Amino acid sequence: MDKLAKQLRDDAQKIDCTISEELDGRISASLQGIAPAQSGGPRATTRPVWFWWASSLTGVAAAVALILIVNLKAPEPQPVASEPAVTPLVLPAIEWHTESAVLTSPLEEEMENLQSDLKKAEEAVKQDIDRLF
Amino acid sequence: MRSEATLIEAARQGSVPAFTALVRNYREGLLRFLLTRSSSYADAEDALQDTLINAYRYLQSYDSRWRFSTWLYRIAINNVAKLRPANTVELGDIHDEGNDPLAFCIAASDRENLWQCARRQLSDEVYTAMWLRYVEDMSVKDISAVLERSVSWTKVNLMRGRKILDTELGKDATDDKSTAYG
Repeated sequence: MDKLAKQLRDDAQKIDCTISEELDGRISASLQGIAPAQSGGPRATTRPVWFWWASSLTGVAAAVALILIVNLKAPEPQPVASEPAVTPLVLPAIEWHTESAVLTSPLEEEMENLQSDLKKAEEAVKQDIDRLF
Repeated sequence: MRSEATLIEAARQGSVPAFTALVRNYREGLLRFLLTRSSSYADAEDALQDTLINAYRYLQSYDSRWRFSTWLYRIAINNVAKLRPANTVELGDIHDEGNDPLAFCIAASDRENLWQCARRQLSDEVYTAMWLRYVEDMSVKDISAVLERSVSWTKVNLMRGRKILDTELGKDATDDKSTAYG
């Protein structure tokens, strides 16, 4: 065990707390008054088979009625107006004067060094974590 | 002495004595932990009571693949979260040392208790992770289950917590030296 872990453990032990008789009594009294919940939650009530048939038929009838009402009330389809011809939008040509940026070799080297430093740091952290936990 | 599995089974059947025996060894550790997260001793006691009642009530949902203490801490943390913000202490936000129950329960010492320092320096979750690791001896996997975080998150944050506290420990050592040598 390293120094920090030992110190943390020792310091936790220095926190002085005990379960008082009063608290013990309170907890016991509370536990007496409750019952553990049964697994699986509340049990589903069983219903007769005809109940499911009746509810399914009611559902189907309601759906049919709704479809009929919606279709009967639907307005006459309007004649579709002919679409206006789309005129192509002509954009003015813009002349771009661009030059590609060229990294000079010292900058490239610097970037490579930074990347390799980053990789090394990542590996070091990974090793530290694996070693400790 | 009955095994933990036997006690759990008996408690699931509604045996209060079995449940009491089951949690006997965990109660003080839980209270100590809750004390570091509550604004008063009474709140910590209430949180402990709620934790044990919830544990008894929902014992059926306990999955034996996990350690019992892992499950118990998960409930305790949920209870602490429910108390927030009125009755709990936001870590890192303790200014009134006189009302701090943790300070009250720590015997006078020549240096600051590291857990007080941890409470100031670390976030809620990192503090809890550190506590579970170094006081409760939980595995990283169990800690990640309690905190509902990934294993890699837990590892990285334990590492961060260690670094911060290591620095504090180093500072203390330096202070001691400077005091010793004038």
